[in-house]
Amino acid sequence: MNYKLLAENVVKKALKLGADEAEVYLENGRDFELSIRNGDVETIKQATSKGMGLTVFKDKKLGFSYTSDFSDKSLEEFTKKTVQLSLVADPKPWNGLPDFKKGKIQDLDLYDSSISEIPNEKKIDIAKEVEKIALTYDKRITKSQGGFFGDAENEVIIVNSKGISYSYKSSGVGFGAGVVAGEGGDMQSGGWSTSKRHFKDLDAIENVAKKAGKRAVEKLGAMPVPTQKAPVVFDRYAGGLFWYGILFAMNGDSVYKKTTFLTDYLDKPIASKFITITDDPTIPRHIASVPFDGEGNITRKNILIDKGVLRMFIYDTITARKAGVEVNTIAGRGGYRSPPYANFLNVVVQNGSVSREKIISGIKNGFYVTGLRGIGTDIPTGTYSCGASGFWIKDGEIAFPVDGITLGGNTLDILKNIEIVADDIDIRGGLNSPSFKISEITVGGKK
Amino acid sequence: MKTYFKPVTRRKFLKTGAAGGVIIATLPIWKLCSCSAPPSDFYVNPASDLSKETLEKLIEIALQKGGEFAEVYVEYKVDNRVSLEENKIYGAGRGVEMGVGIRVLHGEKTGYAYCDDLSFDKLKQTAEVASFIAAEKEVRQPVGLKSSKIPSYYLVKVAPDSIVPKKKAKLLWKANSVGRAYDKKINQVNVGFSDVNKKIIIANSEGTWVEDVQTISRLFVSISAIEGDKRSRGYAYKGGTLGYEHYDLKLAEELAKDACRMAMAMLPAEDAPAGEYPIVMAKGRCGTFFHEAIGHSLESDGIRKKTSCFWDKKGKMIASKITSLADDGTIPGARGAINVDDEGTPAQKNILIDKGICSNFLYDRLNAGLMKAKLTGNGRRESYQHYPIPRMTNTYLMAGEDDPESIVKSVKKGIYVARIGGGNVTWVTGRFVFSVPEGYLIEDGKITKPLKGIQLMGKGPEALKNIVMVGPDLEIWGGGTCGKDGQAKPVSDGNPTLKVSKITIGGAKV
Repeated sequence: MNYKLLAENVVKKALKLGADEAEVYLENGRDFELSIRNGDVETIKQATSKGMGLTVFKDKKLGFSYTSDFSDKSLEEFTKKTVQLSLVADPKPWNGLPDFKKGKIQDLDLYDSSISEIPNEKKIDIAKEVEKIALTYDKRITKSQGGFFGDAENEVIIVNSKGISYSYKSSGVGFGAGVVAGEGGDMQSGGWSTSKRHFKDLDAIENVAKKAGKRAVEKLGAMPVPTQKAPVVFDRYAGGLFWYGILFAMNGDSVYKKTTFLTDYLDKPIASKFITITDDPTIPRHIASVPFDGEGNITRKNILIDKGVLRMFIYDTITARKAGVEVNTIAGRGGYRSPPYANFLNVVVQNGSVSREKIISGIKNGFYVTGLRGIGTDIPTGTYSCGASGFWIKDGEIAFPVDGITLGGNTLDILKNIEIVADDIDIRGGLNSPSFKISEITVGGKK
Repeated sequence: MKTYFKPVTRRKFLKTGAAGGVIIATLPIWKLCSCSAPPSDFYVNPASDLSKETLEKLIEIALQKGGEFAEVYVEYKVDNRVSLEENKIYGAGRGVEMGVGIRVLHGEKTGYAYCDDLSFDKLKQTAEVASFIAAEKEVRQPVGLKSSKIPSYYLVKVAPDSIVPKKKAKLLWKANSVGRAYDKKINQVNVGFSDVNKKIIIANSEGTWVEDVQTISRLFVSISAIEGDKRSRGYAYKGGTLGYEHYDLKLAEELAKDACRMAMAMLPAEDAPAGEYPIVMAKGRCGTFFHEAIGHSLESDGIRKKTSCFWDKKGKMIASKITSLADDGTIPGARGAINVDDEGTPAQKNILIDKGICSNFLYDRLNAGLMKAKLTGNGRRESYQHYPIPRMTNTYLMAGEDDPESIVKSVKKGIYVARIGGGNVTWVTGRFVFSVPEGYLIEDGKITKPLKGIQLMGKGPEALKNIVMVGPDLEIWGGGTCGKDGQAKPVSDGNPTLKVSKITIGGAKV
């Protein structure tokens, strides 16, 4: 079936049925997932699926529906209902499709056609291998949570009544393992994975497996520490999570509604001068890159925080119009089941120039965070409170594992207290950060 | 929410791509409250055309490589939502999905395939793909399908899908006007009504053949308040396996007031203290604690794989004597109520902890079979795109005998948890963390100041032993959506007033 043609027909039909503007967001793809446990195949799952979301505007009113049923009869009914749905909403002057800038979508090399040719036997071998190496990493590793392999292909099509008709194909492939280590009544789990657009870009099996094993073993015997104020180093992966709540607080819609603590901070310093953050979904072959955003704007690199100064909130078109600001092409989309909304796409915190080891070696008594539980930042108040695990630093060296403690404070204070940023960013997901040191934070633990 | 690791697959790129595979957090209200459309085409769906003969044929094909068990799961789903924000109906939305998932079990192995095309050729192909998990010479003959009748625990007289969005919008307007009038400091009112209507058919090689029509609805009010540079949020909702007859303007008013009360109460909140303190949990609003911190560790997948902290604890004392925990899919109207689970097993009440003793686990078919245990009606899946796994339904701490007032009075300095928020547990260690969107300081037996930024941390097995007082005032409340292994499922929970003698509080004050 020619899905682009199908999407174009639905848009035409919606206009014919009375919509002023219409957009179809269509996805079509396949999934494969397999898991291994103790050397045997445990599950194999495969499927193809598709779906489309239809957004219509009539008299500045919004209607939205989605369906996975593409039969002629159903689509006719679906389109009719969506137009009817828009009548329920109230008109808003800012409603409507984006004003598109002329441009050409870039080829970001997001599709690896060779993935569909990998035989299942090879996928099974990879998952077995990664589990086996993880299990033999250390004698204290006793149980497997499994070895995994997954791959997928997806085509996204966006067609609207303003003449936009874009599509791109992408692929994804990944594997990993999870294991459990035990010693003296304590059990700890650890896992690691790699996922990329191209098979060739995946990390080596051995590295992934060993990292999974190491992450379980090194936590054995972890204990809370007494409550105190201490310097804290976020490692690059926990560091990525740290930024999550702060980015949510930068959501343009929350700013407009004044429900975020960052409402009044545009063009003001909110973090130390060592912090520069961009949203850049244009990095070739990257797993979080996309050639156009959730509403069909061609993506670009945006600077969100520049040397500590908050330069931009995150807007989709409708929110930007409402707030009277320039659109910055950062609309997310939760697949065909949701209309676009303001959301970051691929956040990159700029590297510093100091090694992580050097940062740690300069701390007499402090905490090295490698795991966070929860988001941390409370959006309305800016209060920061987050469960954490990691290692205690004593006299510049990693001394013992720590778990069951919390980090607390005020997000703005914490951001201003970022003293050093490391040079160790590993761009592997949609939220990427180097390690960084905060001069002081409240560590809540034992009395 | 379990922190469980898996390589990212396609759906997850889309859902969490931007978040880099971390937890999905604050989405727009549009997504929080799911929404509606003109009179229902819900019951005339193509899935109903799948005849007994077609289902039997598919099961036979699925077993052709020698699998031990085969199952066909058919789903047709319509969800509706309508939401209001900034004094305007934001929009109405509707989604339709259908598909078939075919599963083959063979020993510890699972083969699963699904498709969203109901033509026989595509279904046949799907059954074949699932069948390949087995490779045996001998092929089993499936038992002929026999339709079974099941009791209903849903309180649905008027299907929400049959109500036009304009009518639902009246509830939203009511909540909005009550919320806006409550106090000048209220600056935002968001309201949403959502309903999910599902028809499922389950047929398997042991002759089970059941159909169920499931309805879940919810009215949700979210309030923001502002005063100078202080901000706060309040929310309230009612929901469950409920028909539209359970929603009226009076309810909308009550919910709006409750959400406003919370936002106003939390506006002057101070930083919470960090360290170990006793806590009192308010009745009804803290059941998520037991779902997350204890319940997940009693699911049979982690028990069988010995990766749960309770894997070897059956029959052993794992909690204080006054602690009993149940999971019950048969609570009428509750959000986690089910007539049958997603494998066709009738729902039932299961006592998991009986006066401190670990008495049972939650089973799906695969794990019950491998562990030679009885089915408990907990094999659940998000949709036809997922195979079932052991999941909770309505989970609650059972009532005790301590007077609720004296429970608060017994605390010299501690935290009163009026409402627990989102949580997260690592089931190997039982370590949990919870946010507390509404909490207060207890000083000398009295509830005093509101506190912000409270996080509760600890280990499930330790917290269970530290439950020292339990009231008689059990209440099952609202509930939410639980995520496990990438599958979202509606659940509810509950608790009486109770005291935990010590728990680690994360806060900004030392």
